[in-house]
Amino acid sequence: MLIPFIGLLVGIIIGILTPFHVPSQYSSYLAIAILAALDSVFGGISASCQKTFDMKVFITGFFANSLLAALLTYIGKKLDVDIHLAAIIVFGTRLFQNFAIIRRFLLNKFLKNDKI
Amino acid sequence: MKIKNAQIAISLICVILGFMLSIQFKSVRRNTALSNTQLKRAEELQAELNKEREKNENLYKQLLQYEKDLNAYQKAAAESSDQAQGLLKQLYNAQTLAGLNDVEGPGVIVTLNDSKVENKETSKIDENYFIIHDDDILMVINELSDAGAEAISINDERLIATSEIRCAGNTISVNNNRYGTPFVIKAIGNPETLESGLNIRSGVVDILRQWGIEVTVKKVDKLLIKRFSGGINFKYATPVVTQQ
Repeated sequence: MLIPFIGLLVGIIIGILTPFHVPSQYSSYLAIAILAALDSVFGGISASCQKTFDMKVFITGFFANSLLAALLTYIGKKLDVDIHLAAIIVFGTRLFQNFAIIRRFLLNKFLKNDKI
Repeated sequence: MKIKNAQIAISLICVILGFMLSIQFKSVRRNTALSNTQLKRAEELQAELNKEREKNENLYKQLLQYEKDLNAYQKAAAESSDQAQGLLKQLYNAQTLAGLNDVEGPGVIVTLNDSKVENKETSKIDENYFIIHDDDILMVINELSDAGAEAISINDERLIATSEIRCAGNTISVNNNRYGTPFVIKAIGNPETLESGLNIRSGVVDILRQWGIEVTVKKVDKLLIKRFSGGINFKYATPVVTQQ
C-alpha cells in the first residue's frame, strides 16, 4: 500500500521541479482535474480493498471524468452558470463514500489482526 | 497479480495527482502574489502622486514669495529715478496684458449650466445639444472680447495668449486644467457693452437658451480676476529685436 504514496511524492517533486505554472484563468480547470484524480485514486483504493478493481474502469474513469469535469467548467464559464459545482459535489460525495469504505476495510483488517 | 496491477495503476494516477497538486499550489500562490504586487504598485503610485502634489504646492508658495520680493525690488528701483518709474509702469501694463497681474474693475459674470430640459425619447434630438461644449464657451469668450473685455477668466483660470479652451471628456480644459459645469466666466470691461454684446438678438445667449442651457449674465461694479498661475516658458519663440 506504500507505492501510491511514493507515487504521490514523486509527482509532487516533479511538479515542484518543473519551471511551469498555470495562468489564473485556467486555474479552475486544473482544480477540477485534481478533484477528478483524487476521486479516481480513492475509488481505485476502495475497489482494490473490495477486490472489485477493474483496470479498464479505473483508467477510463479517470480520463473521462477529468475531461467531462473540464468540459462542464468550460460550458459553465461560457453560460455564466457554475456547472462545475455539479462535478465538485459528485466528486466530493464519492470521495467521502469511498473513504468510508476504505476506513471500514482498514478497521476490519486491523481489528482482525489484533485478534490473531 | 491483479492487486499488483491495481497498485501500479493507482500509483501512476497518484503521480499525476501529485504533479497537478504541486503545479496548482505553485500557480495559486504565484497568482495571488501577482495581484498583491499590483495592488501594492497602485498604492505606491498614489503615495508618489501625493508627494508630488505637496511638492508642487510648496513650489507654488515659493514662487509667490519670490514674486513678492521681485515687486518690492521693482518698487524700490522705481523710487530712485523717473525713468525707472516709467519702465515700471510699462512693465505693469505688459503684465496685465499677459495676465500676470490680478486685475479688478467693473464687468460681467456669466454663468453657464447644462440644460435641465427633458429630452423626450420620441423627439430624437441629439443629447449633445443640451450640454455645454468647448465651442459654446469659445463663442461666449469671443463675444466678450469683441465687446472690449480687458481680462477674462473661466472658473478663475485666467485666459492668456496661450490659453486653450478644449473639450476634455466631460470636462473642459483651460490652461491644461480641467473644469466641469457650472462655468463661471468673468470679464472686466464696460458692463453695459459686455452685457448687450452677449444678449444681442439671436446672439450667443439666445442660441444657448434655445436648448435650455442656463445662462445668466450679471453686471458687477467691481470684480477681481486673478492672475495666471502657471509658468510661461518659451521654447521656440524668440523675440526679434529691430535695430534702430
